[in-house]
Amino acid sequence: MSALTYPVLARVAVVAGVSVVALGGCAATPTALDAPTTTAQRVELSNCGFDVSFDAAPERVITIKSSTTEMLLALGLGDRIIGTAFQDGPVPEQWASDAAGLTLIAERVPSEEAVLDLEPDLVFAGWESTFSADAAGERADLTSFGINTFVSPSACQSAEQPAQLSFDNVFSDIETVAAIFQVDATELVNAQRAQLEAIEANGNSRTALWYSSGSDTPYVGAGIGAPQLLLDTVGLTNIAADVNATWAPYNWEAVVDADPDFIVLVDADWNSAENKIGVLEANPATANLSAVKAGRYLVVPFAASEAGVRSVDAAESLSAQIAEFDG
Amino acid sequence: MAKVSPLALGSALAVALVVSITVAVTIGPADIRFDEVWRSIASHLGVGVSPLSELRDGIVWQLRLPRVLTAAAVGAGLALSGAVMQAITRNPLADPYLLGLSSGAALGAVSVLLLGAAVLLPLAAFIGALLALTLTLLLAGSLGAITPSRTVLAGIAVSALASAITSFVIFWSVTGDSYREVLSWLLGSLSGARWPAVAITMAAIIIIGIPVMMTGRLLDSFAFGDLQAASLGVNVSATRWGLLGASALVTGAMVSVSGSIGFVGLILPHAVRLLVGPGHRALLPLSALLGAVFLVWADTLARTLFDPREIPVGIVTAMIGAPVFAFLLTRRKSST
Repeated sequence: MSALTYPVLARVAVVAGVSVVALGGCAATPTALDAPTTTAQRVELSNCGFDVSFDAAPERVITIKSSTTEMLLALGLGDRIIGTAFQDGPVPEQWASDAAGLTLIAERVPSEEAVLDLEPDLVFAGWESTFSADAAGERADLTSFGINTFVSPSACQSAEQPAQLSFDNVFSDIETVAAIFQVDATELVNAQRAQLEAIEANGNSRTALWYSSGSDTPYVGAGIGAPQLLLDTVGLTNIAADVNATWAPYNWEAVVDADPDFIVLVDADWNSAENKIGVLEANPATANLSAVKAGRYLVVPFAASEAGVRSVDAAESLSAQIAEFDG
Repeated sequence: MAKVSPLALGSALAVALVVSITVAVTIGPADIRFDEVWRSIASHLGVGVSPLSELRDGIVWQLRLPRVLTAAAVGAGLALSGAVMQAITRNPLADPYLLGLSSGAALGAVSVLLLGAAVLLPLAAFIGALLALTLTLLLAGSLGAITPSRTVLAGIAVSALASAITSFVIFWSVTGDSYREVLSWLLGSLSGARWPAVAITMAAIIIIGIPVMMTGRLLDSFAFGDLQAASLGVNVSATRWGLLGASALVTGAMVSVSGSIGFVGLILPHAVRLLVGPGHRALLPLSALLGAVFLVWADTLARTLFDPREIPVGIVTAMIGAPVFAFLLTRRKSST
């Protein structure tokens, strides 16, 4: 499993920055799945450099972005969600029945007043930018209203951004959220670890471009975020690995020069994989790329392209798609 | 008061432009040797055989060369339009985007990008620019006799309206990270320049730009006011609207492929004026030449400075343009 080729030590310090402390002498391991707990356990942690503390498991949660909704569904916490916003696509089948009753409160980021109106005790966001005055509200502001805020730790940018995202970060995110909700993530994480172990790194060091969006200037998965992690996991070499960013604006000339073996297309409602194929074929320089000529495209749903509970699924799917091309 | 002979400066700039284009196409993230680049270009012009693979040949012929040529044309067009606008409105702060041109173009482009209207992007930008100009002139006309200051004020109103609608469209419809595309467009970028962009911008320079460059004597007569110009036998109104319309067409063509690249049209005419004096016969062609050289290098920086990342060229023009402008101002102060 090539995820192990990472400099693991470099990241442990970062992961350790997100410390979950249990106070009051309670056991650090919380109660079982689905059992709302009454344990008086206080969880304190620094989240993207912002200190948050939870005196009890949140009961009324607004999730913004698919990654956060799906994280709670995977932990069996769908009943805590009072509203979702800014969803990137359909919820995968395995959680579809739990997701059926969820209310979408806004197509995009809701305003602060819309958030306050629902009287949540936690706003759980997939992007840090969600918490600003012209979006869902500043974190300090929401805190003063007694509303906790939390950003998927792997999505932190202003502080505590993982230097090189690893599956340890992804699983630690799951465990951190589980700790906040005082549920046990062991089963989920163990299942994901087992699924990850079984993924074949069949990329054999062939090269790939992670094409996220953009036409004149391609916006690509770069060297330190979820795209790099998924490509590494399946043994593909990211042509933009040198760029020290999660995602970054790139340059068609560099793409043509590298002539990648595969092109990963991120499929979003607002920019479908099909649309990206159109862009690649319309540009005379990229139309000659070997991957474009041979149609060697690997497709990842947008919601699975961000670090979270679908990361392992996304890697598995990439590996399966490569296997299909290798026949 | 001219410190440099216009002829000498013109010759120097012409040589600099040729050298700049020759060198700029050999610079880029892909490591291709100078001679390989030019043998590849020669092969497309029917001389010899390209030494490069099909893909690397595409880098030179489909990406770099059209982009460098577009940069030269856009730089020339914006600087020329700026010089003309400053002369006609007798306003040193005038630039090609006055009269709502850039915000109209931006509105057209953003509508296509975000609402998915079935119109080509350059065409939409061009239509947006022309609509904004028409609206500006109608508004200025409805205020009474169309004077430069009324036109500028009407342009400000139209700009503000078009910008507000643009912002609304962005706010309403942006999803995921599609705002990036809009942003690079609003800041000005040549990353999408291919051969059709070369055709549009070169045609604008040759068909409209070159005749405009010949009007220096007419513009000189404007320098001391409309009455003075009329007393010299100039048809003030026809000249003014003809040149304004021509500048708008040139600007619209440039904005339609590059977005609104700031500072080129505002600052380069001033730079030339400081070097050779205010006479428009020299100012117009020299501004165009300097604009071409400037934008070729600004865009080369934009695509290579953070190789392999790219930044919108409008950021580079502003970062270079503003300090250079300040430097020129202080020089002028000490010498006058």
